[in-house]
Amino acid sequence: MNLPVPSELKREWATLQTRRHFLGRTGKVLGWAAIASLLGDRALRGDTRATSNGQPGSQSGERLRLPQFAPKAKRAIYLFMSGGPSQVDLLDYKPHLTDLYDKDIPDSVRGSQQLTGMTAGQARFPIAPAHWGFKRYGKTGTWVSDLLPYTGRIVDDLAIIKSTNTEAINHEPAIMLMNTGNMNAGKPCLGSWLSYGLGSMNDNLPTFMVLQSKLNTKENNQPVSSRLWSSGFLSSEYAGVGLRSAGDPVLYLTDPSGVDREVRRNMLDAVNEINRQTFDELGDPETHARIAQYEMAYRMQTSVPELADLSKEPKSTWDLYGDEAKEPGTFAYNCLMARRMAERGVRFTQVYKRGWDMHDNVTGILPIICQETDRGCYALVTDLKQRGLLDDTLVIWAGEFGRTVYSQGGLSKENYGRDHHPRCFTTWMTGGGVHTGITYGETDDYSYNVVKDPVTVRDFNATILHCLGIDHNKLTYNFQGLDQKLTGPVPASVVKGLLA
Amino acid sequence: MKIQQRLEAVSEKLLPNRKNARIMWMASLAFSVGLALLPWLIKLDGKPHADWQQFLGRFHPLVVHLPVAFLLLVPVLEIVGAFRPALREAAGFVLALAFASAVLALTLGILLAYGSGNAGSLVTRHMAGGIALTIGLLLSSLARPWWIERSVPIFYPALLACMVPLLFWTADQGGSITHGSNYLTAYMPASLKRLTLLSTKTPPSSFYAMHINPIFDSNCATCHGAAKSNGGLRLDSFDLVMKGGKDGPVIIAGDPDKSLLLHRVTLPPDHKQFMPAEGRPPLRPEEITWIKAWIQQGASPTATTLAGISTGDERPEVPPQPVADYSALMPEIRQMQQTQGAKLIPVSSKPEDGLILFTVDAASGFGDAQLAQFQKFAPFIVEAELGRTAVTNASFDTLKQFTHLRALHLEETHVTGDGLAKLTSLSQLTYVNLSGTQVTEESVRPLSSMKNLRHLYLYNTPAQPAAIAQPTQPIARSTP
Repeated sequence: MNLPVPSELKREWATLQTRRHFLGRTGKVLGWAAIASLLGDRALRGDTRATSNGQPGSQSGERLRLPQFAPKAKRAIYLFMSGGPSQVDLLDYKPHLTDLYDKDIPDSVRGSQQLTGMTAGQARFPIAPAHWGFKRYGKTGTWVSDLLPYTGRIVDDLAIIKSTNTEAINHEPAIMLMNTGNMNAGKPCLGSWLSYGLGSMNDNLPTFMVLQSKLNTKENNQPVSSRLWSSGFLSSEYAGVGLRSAGDPVLYLTDPSGVDREVRRNMLDAVNEINRQTFDELGDPETHARIAQYEMAYRMQTSVPELADLSKEPKSTWDLYGDEAKEPGTFAYNCLMARRMAERGVRFTQVYKRGWDMHDNVTGILPIICQETDRGCYALVTDLKQRGLLDDTLVIWAGEFGRTVYSQGGLSKENYGRDHHPRCFTTWMTGGGVHTGITYGETDDYSYNVVKDPVTVRDFNATILHCLGIDHNKLTYNFQGLDQKLTGPVPASVVKGLLA
Repeated sequence: MKIQQRLEAVSEKLLPNRKNARIMWMASLAFSVGLALLPWLIKLDGKPHADWQQFLGRFHPLVVHLPVAFLLLVPVLEIVGAFRPALREAAGFVLALAFASAVLALTLGILLAYGSGNAGSLVTRHMAGGIALTIGLLLSSLARPWWIERSVPIFYPALLACMVPLLFWTADQGGSITHGSNYLTAYMPASLKRLTLLSTKTPPSSFYAMHINPIFDSNCATCHGAAKSNGGLRLDSFDLVMKGGKDGPVIIAGDPDKSLLLHRVTLPPDHKQFMPAEGRPPLRPEEITWIKAWIQQGASPTATTLAGISTGDERPEVPPQPVADYSALMPEIRQMQQTQGAKLIPVSSKPEDGLILFTVDAASGFGDAQLAQFQKFAPFIVEAELGRTAVTNASFDTLKQFTHLRALHLEETHVTGDGLAKLTSLSQLTYVNLSGTQVTEESVRPLSSMKNLRHLYLYNTPAQPAAIAQPTQPIARSTP
């Protein structure tokens, strides 16, 4: 066959071919260690872009010699609050703002940094204090908004970070930065790095799964896209696998009528054979990823129905998560699914909840979205704890930025709006490796600037990797001539104060 | 006698009616000012300095007792000297010795503090005391002849009278540096402590500091604290707790039944005198058990454990014991994965961290026989994830050979707990998950003897039924 294959790809193929033959076919004779010493570290680090010969990524942890140290957490659940939750109204309690209602925020506090186009033109920046009361909860006496009564019950188990801050001011770059460590699309996300670095614990389910919560049309839903769970330049088998929020969790997963398991197997074997021929001709490693994904889909035909079958959940589950959790696609349902995935060895589960973007009508919308999410968060943490899973599961709650203390648009006693605010926002973590029962970092009296212990997005991600036994500087992948990593080229540091 | 002559010469020089008396006084005052300025001249920067300084400095605790004894001897000799004049003559000589040894002790002490990098308020105070005493001794030596001659009769006895308490204070500071600050009062009877109003030290690792104080702090201190002290009662420090309120003590050590505090928190919640008042949530049952046991066993500020009370978190984390290198077995380990469907995955890149046995792929196909196949790798396995597999009680025989096992997952398996006692020999085991099994309170009891077992999960078992419906209204601790 004479296909127009680019010469660059042919060259890469040539090196891959020799290496693969060497590794794959003479490996038995020479032994793994001998090869490793002959080839140096590069082959072991996986920068050949090769996958494990059609096998799912179960061996990659061994191949990369990860985790570097015994991890506290084996898996992670990331509750992503897309849109930017309002820290002022929820967890960053500023009682003194009540007296400053409708006063302008001092210039000395606001500084001269760029605002979004939505409020940059405002003549005034009047302070909008939180509309809701706060109460102290738990042994730690942590102040929590009346909008989050359930979260209040778990504050003793959380590490609340008030000083998270980001460089991005709009949704897409900010959400990319949180997830991939870079504002531009194209880098692998946290879940893909973990999947690539640590490999799978359960070969019958994807290592990295994504659950989207149903939209509530009353809310301002900023789009989330598969770019956020993309594997970027890593093999696409490390990308997140999404479960649908309604109907079949995975489309076309059930065999069509008349096609039994055996027929399916025969068909797959044939397709795999064709794919292998294609690989021999073109040498595109993505072909291997394709074979792996066919195989994964085949195994998911039995594992996903079992995963999604909630009929055996005891009554105590529904008492805890609420009846809302019975309806697929609700946030509470996704939290329950996240617990089930944790039990089944899914390495990384990300639950997306959109709708936190509130440029106006905060008092109308915020109670709704809090009501949708508050109990699920509480139930998940409580459930993991009572089942003994919180010891080695990291749970993260975060959005892409916070919201301004000043009102966007009109301010009244009854209502106000809040613009994007990157300079401080509140997040929390709990579970394996986390020092719980603490509040980390402080903001000024206006919840505008961080005054103590700032946590950048880089530090945040470095800390997450640390809990999973990974030194963020050492999980790298050579691409475009650089040792790429999740935290990017700017130095990041693990936040020691958050670690148990 | 040569020595006798020389000593006489020395004491003659100190006599004020000699020609050089003025010079002596000037020199002494200059020396005293120099000594008084020492703390500013030698900055204790908290950093260790030369080794020789420390070497010499360490003789300070030895030498320092000489001036102490000499100084205490002086007033004794002066008083007894009224009846036996020979002793009064000796007093001047002893005073001179006291001064000389004080200078030596002071020098060594400063060398010790500076050389070892010792700093802090205790050291500073001890040093100030030492300097003041040395100056005091010098001035006493000069003032004594005036007293003898009755020209200035009051100065010398007054100096001595001041120096004795100063000596005790300085010695106490020094003792606190070496023995810890509550060395003297640790075993003082509580009643005496109340009289002396000494604040009791409650070490942070004590049961009181770890468990009792937090209960008071989060439940009581808003009304019985520094801001508000209803009923004259404050519960924000050990001494205040023991002092009680306007109705007398609320804690009677050793007698829970007579302890008012325990009585008030155990009343029915709707009782008028129930505490915490104003509808705040009652103390949790285990909190009451802890308070009761703490009172029963003497209400000690320092005891770290109480008999019969396990709080779960006081067991220190055992450092994991490294496992032997399994690298040579890697081919066999991979082979196991192919044949058994279960995986042995390294905890980390360091072999000494051991292997985790994952069975989730095999799940219900993985039973006692399959687990037995892994016996060969037993000493390397630190964590066994057997949740939702088909293993039964029969596997405890295999598992007891997993000598380095730290975590054991058996959730939602068919184990009923018979034979769990076989696991008690696993000294490294800190985590056992039996959630969703049929284990009973009876069958898990043997595990309570395991010193290092910190996490035992029994959710949704006959031993610990799943929680009943949660109240939908959250309980907040206090409102703004």
